[in-house]
Amino acid sequence: MSTAPRRSLVPERAREEDRELLRRYHEGGDTGAREALIQRHLPLVRSLARRYAGRGEALEDIEQVGAIGLIKAIDRFELKRDVSLATYATPNVVGEIKRHFRDKGWAIRVPRALQELNASMSGAIERLTGKLGRSPSIAEIADELKTSPEEVLEAMEVGSAYSTVSLSAGAGDEELDPLETIGDEDVEFERSEHRAALAPALNRLAPREREILRMRFEEGLPQTQIAQRIGLSQMHVSRLIRKSLTVMREELLRAPPGTSP
Amino acid sequence: MRHHEERIELEAPLSGDFQAVVRLIIGGIAERVDFAFEEIDDLQLAVERLLAEAGQVGSVRLSFEVGEAGIRTRVGPLSETAVADALRDGDVQPGQLTLRRILQTVVDSFGVEESADGRIVVRLEKLKGVP
Repeated sequence: MSTAPRRSLVPERAREEDRELLRRYHEGGDTGAREALIQRHLPLVRSLARRYAGRGEALEDIEQVGAIGLIKAIDRFELKRDVSLATYATPNVVGEIKRHFRDKGWAIRVPRALQELNASMSGAIERLTGKLGRSPSIAEIADELKTSPEEVLEAMEVGSAYSTVSLSAGAGDEELDPLETIGDEDVEFERSEHRAALAPALNRLAPREREILRMRFEEGLPQTQIAQRIGLSQMHVSRLIRKSLTVMREELLRAPPGTSP
Repeated sequence: MRHHEERIELEAPLSGDFQAVVRLIIGGIAERVDFAFEEIDDLQLAVERLLAEAGQVGSVRLSFEVGEAGIRTRVGPLSETAVADALRDGDVQPGQLTLRRILQTVVDSFGVEESADGRIVVRLEKLKGVP
């Protein structure tokens, strides 16, 4: 029985567009092309992140970590490779997510009750903010969740207990499930609408994080308003701000003197 | 900030391992004066970024004066070169985020005081219910 050659799941046109953008970025230093590549492949990151949902970590956080893997893949892609960017990026994204779970050791160190409280806090804060028209106090959150203020504070800290993710660390070398090495199909997922806000010192962050920092520190918007605009929870916005500032500072320290990060 | 202020002092290692403890303590103190979730987060972020500029070696003292209107926090003594440089009121490039810019956003006022040994103490004031 003869077998027809396996048809690539990546439409040829999308693959060509990716290669053109990669060429513009790697050969011409076009950061706009890099930005476009990130946007084009964020749906892939989302689909991979969903596989790791339900393990005590917010999906949005997993997506954020996965996006770092995507950026690394774009930066390291070699044009001579006869492989699509989606295929090349998938192990990087998955490796980054797995490393995050491993480094964080969430399931081992954090009692389940606190994980659950942390997970329910986000919704409680949103409900109370809507009801009160302001950011709720800890006592109000505790009342809403029928727990003590001390436990709410502890759960807040659980949520912010991030390990720092380096942007220049090596690619993931963890063992991958066979399915995870096939990412071509995912380029057909919905396209991101996030707008890139390019600014020299922020270039190492994903577009959404840059936009959040811009809204917080340039526009001076409170987290509640940013959360509404971006469509995330206030707690998540808070975590992204902290993590982004940490990442930026590490990048600044790594940059040779006199160079722009 | 009010006639009668409670005062809490803490000395903590500068290494990152203890930052979560400092955050938790700030949360506990701010909760006692009924700060909103977002206000607590702002104060925690201010202290966290300040400590990040102060390095990882040695320890730092933090004091909290708690009144009805808010919390006055003092952090230090800190190395003047590291932190004062980050707080300097200089030209900020578009898109650049300095410690000064961050503090201007998340606390109501801040200032630098000189400690007895010539180093600096940073004062942060966060008021309750100020948008």
